[in-house]
Parts: sequence; C-alpha cells; structure tokens
Amino acid sequence: MKLPDKYGKFGIFGGKFAPETLMSPLEELEKRYKETIKSGMFRKDLKYYLEVYAGRPTPLYFAKSFSEKIGARVYLKREDMAFTGAHKINNTIGQVLLAKYMKKTRVIAETGAGQHGVATATAAALFGLKCDVYMGEVDIKRQSLNVYRMKLLGSNVISVSSGTKTLKDAMNEAMRDWISSFERTHYVIGSVAGPHPYPMLVRNFQIVIGKETKKQLLKIEKKLPDYLVACVGGGSNSMGLFYPFENDRNVKFIGVEGGGKGLDTNLHSATLCKGSPGILHGSLSYVLQNKDGQIHPTHSISAGLDYPGVGPEHSFYKETGRAQYFAVNDNDALKAFHLLSETEGIIPALESAHAVSWVINNKEKFRQNDIIVINLSGRGDKDVQEVAEIEGTL
Amino acid sequence: MRINDKFNELKKQGKKSLIVYLTAGFPDIMFTENFAVELEKTGVDMIEIGVPFSDPIADGPILQHTNQLSLEKGTNLKSIFSLCERLKARISIPYLLMSYYNPVYQFGIDNFAKECFQTGVSGIIIADLPFEESGPLKDSLKTYGIDLISFLTFTTSERRKEKILKKSSGFIYYISLAGVTGPREQLPERLMDDLKSLKEISHTPVAVGFGISYAAQVKEIKKYADGVIMGSFVMKEIIDNKIEELKKSLISFREELNGESK
Repeated sequence: MKLPDKYGKFGIFGGKFAPETLMSPLEELEKRYKETIKSGMFRKDLKYYLEVYAGRPTPLYFAKSFSEKIGARVYLKREDMAFTGAHKINNTIGQVLLAKYMKKTRVIAETGAGQHGVATATAAALFGLKCDVYMGEVDIKRQSLNVYRMKLLGSNVISVSSGTKTLKDAMNEAMRDWISSFERTHYVIGSVAGPHPYPMLVRNFQIVIGKETKKQLLKIEKKLPDYLVACVGGGSNSMGLFYPFENDRNVKFIGVEGGGKGLDTNLHSATLCKGSPGILHGSLSYVLQNKDGQIHPTHSISAGLDYPGVGPEHSFYKETGRAQYFAVNDNDALKAFHLLSETEGIIPALESAHAVSWVINNKEKFRQNDIIVINLSGRGDKDVQEVAEIEGTL
Repeated sequence: MRINDKFNELKKQGKKSLIVYLTAGFPDIMFTENFAVELEKTGVDMIEIGVPFSDPIADGPILQHTNQLSLEKGTNLKSIFSLCERLKARISIPYLLMSYYNPVYQFGIDNFAKECFQTGVSGIIIADLPFEESGPLKDSLKTYGIDLISFLTFTTSERRKEKILKKSSGFIYYISLAGVTGPREQLPERLMDDLKSLKEISHTPVAVGFGISYAAQVKEIKKYADGVIMGSFVMKEIIDNKIEELKKSLISFREELNGESK
C-alpha cells in the first residue's frame, strides 16, 4: 500500500497534530496539491525549471580515489551541483510553483543553516512571490553569509529569539505566522516533517534524487546499489534518495544523524538513534525529549542536522527495519570533510560529510564489488569559514 | 463539579460564563494555587490550568514567556497533579487542564486520565489535538466522566463542524480569530455572525477565546455565546504584577456577563 494513508499516517507515525485553525488550510493544501500535480501544465513547468534553472539531472559521479580508500565502488550523487548548492532547491521550486498555482502571493519558510531559506528566497524571486524567512538568532550569527544572500534575493529575514533560538524555534514561529496568514501565504516547510500533507509533499518533490540515481546507476553498472547512504536532519535528502528504492529489498538504506559530541552526552541531534516517539511540529515521530515530554536542545557541528525531530516516514522505516540509522560525531564529520576534499576535489557540506564519514568508518564491512551511493546533499562552501575557525586556521 | 452542571447553573441564573487561564507554575506553583482560590472569590466560573510546553505553536509572546519561565522552575504534570489535588479541597468551581499533546502522550494517556480523575479535573483542552487524532484520549477520559473540549473556528469546514459537534461535550472552545493567543484591539467583524449561526446548531455551550481583553468585547460576545475565555490578558497582568487591577477587571467582566442576555 502507498503511504501515507488518508490520515497522513506511516504506520503509527505522522498524522495531523495541528491547532484547529490550521486544519482547513492543511486540507486545502492537500486537495490543491493533488489536483495541481495532475495538471500537465504544472508538470511541464516543474520539469522545465528543475532542468533549465536548477540544473537537473545532477551527475552521479564514480569517486575513484575515494573508492580505493574504502575498498568498494562508491558513487556520489552530486546534489551539491544543484543550483544554490544543495538538494533544497528541488523542494522549493516545487512548493513555490505550487503556491503560485494556488494564487498565493507570499511564502514563508523556516531555516537552520540558511540553505532552505536561500532556496526558498531563490524560488520566490524566480516566481515573483514575497518571501519572509524565519531564522533563529543563534543561526543568524553562525550563518551571516546566508542571511545576506536571502536579503540580496529580496527576502526578509526575521530573527527568532524564543526558546533555543535555533531551527526548531524558527519552525514554531513560521507556524505561528501561518496560523494568521494562510489565506494569502503558503508555508514552505523545508523537510519531510510537519503535519500531513507536508511529509508526503516534500518527499514527492525530493524523490527526483532517487529516481535519477536509479536510472544513472542502472546505465553505468547495470545493477542496483547495495547501500544508499545519506545524512538525516529532518530527513528530506535521505528520503528523496531512498524512496524510489523502497521495494528493492536488497538495497540497504543507511541514515546518518548528527552525533555531535557523542551519543553518551546530551550534545547531539541523533533523534532516531536516541529519541523516542512524541509529537512535535504537527506529527508523531521520533523526538529528542525529556521524560516530561519537553523538547531537548540539540547540538551538531552542522546546522542542517541540528533539529530535535525527524520526518515520520523515517520513524516508520526505523520501526519496520527498512532503514538503519546511525550517528557520526562532529570530529569524524570534520575528518570526512577534509578527506573528500583532498581525494576528490569536492568540498562537501558538513551535513553530507556525516554520510561520507559513515562509509569511511565502516569500510571493513564492504566487499570489493559492493556499490555504495552517498547522497552528497550539499556543497561545503558555506561551512569553510566555520571549519577554519574551529580548527584555528583562519 | 462537572462542566455541564456549571453551565446549567449559570443558565438558570441568566448568567454567562467567565473562564480564566493560568499558566501553572508562573511565577510559581504556590501562586497558581492561591490565585485560583482568589479567582473563585472574584466570581470566575472555571479555571484552565495551563501545562507548560517547550514549543507552544498556538501561543503568542505572552504565553510563550510564561510557559518558558514555568518550565525553568521545573513545573511538570506531576507537580500540576499535586496542585490539582490541593485545589480539590480549596475550590468548588470546575478546573480544567490545558496542554499541548506531547506532555500528555509521554505521561501515558490512561495514566493521565486516571490522575485527572483522582485530582478532580473536570475537562481537558489540548491545543494541537484536532478531532481526527483525539479518539484514544477522548475514550480514556470518557471512562472517568472527564470532558475533552473540542475546538471550532471560522476555518472549520461544515463537514468537520458537524462531526465535531456531534461528539462534543463540556463546551465548545471557539477560537475568535486566525492567529495565536494574545490580546487584540479588535476582533474579526465576522465573529458575531459566526457565533450566531453556531449557536443555532450546537447542543453544547460555546465559549469564545483568543484575543479578548476588553469589557466591550465581552459585552458583544456574550450576546451570542455562553462564555468567554481569558488567558494572555490575565497572564500579562500577572507578569506586570498588577494583581489588584486584574481583579478589578475580572469583576467588571463578571458584571458584564451577569447582565441580561439575549
């Protein structure tokens, strides 16, 4: 059966845990989404902008030198080569175009590292919609360059100073905005999280990653991969890669979370590894929380993984065993950041470096002929300054 | 006291209901307890005891602030149930718990219902638990005769409204505006018409919340609804330590709600 079901559930996960005021806008969004994606015009537009504007398909690159170090055949899905430097653009072009079809005049978004914010601001500029991006005060300081990019693109960046002043609070604030603005505003959620229909809708705009990968790999290798490896914050790049292989039971799905300073500390963002089911931001999914059900502050070297929740379909994959989830800590991610840069000339985003690191850390288990696809979800230019500061080389 | 009995009692007296929200544990749990007692003396008909949550997406700045500070004081459901246990002996008006769903979910739905029963809680309001997801909690509460309050608002579709009304008990929490909690100068123009048509079809009393802070607003609303709910307005006065002013305002609202009603 195709999931989610009509209640927006993936097994017990997902659903629509939203204030009453948002129930109707969510229903409306689902209805309009389903109608719109059937329209030939929308599909044509989407395809056009993904190809000509965002630069799709992105290459599937055989990483020869890196493969030799690992002792397996490692491919990189080059989402870092998509316009704006990450997979986020797939979703924002889809959603902002949908917003335009829905005759909305404004979009809002939450952002952590600023990647989703930049991608939303870009699509809003492209399609001529007004755009406000909510960003935690702490993240604004960490990612000042992305803040300036959004401003250049004509968006307004709103600083969020409540709670932990990071992504989770930016999402709270965006929801509060949407509760009063839904008539003219579409809320562009950046991950496969939030109340139904968002986890489904964002996934469906991201599965272009997995579909292309499958086609490209079959052409080169004439067979399916043994492993798909991707980092998981909210989980959109990983779900986009995994989902088209869901029924290919021999393809192993590996999701890699931000292990921060280590899973034995409180300073990590490994929601699936260390969390438990709970309700946050409109859906039932794994959450990092205390025994009273209060949401925990998180930590990761990568702002894009620094989130205490995760998309409900990942929770479902965890429960059914379809995917396995691991964590990689900050230091290992940094090592992978350097190694990939040196061996392949590709500077990965710190988020994606977590996936690269998992492959490095587990190289003993791979056979020579194993095919591994790592989703290189974003490029590392945005992280260069922070890494230099951490390492004291600036 | 059952919520229904309270509304019936008021109806007989020709009065409308004044419902006040307090964030439990702000500024501390002793204050919440003593102030609840004061509220009954001031003529408040029901008290909503707010369970603080780290991510209150339906709340504006005032209640975000009181939630956060209460959490920093260590307030949790355990301390709130002891508060309710004490209130059971000290007040006779109904008191309800208002929460987001996650603290309740983590406490365990059946455990939660049982504790509510034992500590005299009459009703439950969950800000992010719409009708579609409310089955398990509703069933559990029903065993103990506790009402799960349903929300309605102007965006609720006719189809859902019918379903929600059919299963409603206690009262309907009508959200006056599109937005988060917090005082507003003006309520939407359509509100009175919406309430009027809702009252024609609802067998459950209707109380209106969100944005209310003026006697003039109360005066209008009472014509078409069975009660008003005040939260942010009350907590703002508590934050500013204007307890006496607050009591005076509540007394004037009380008088407003006592007057002849259509």
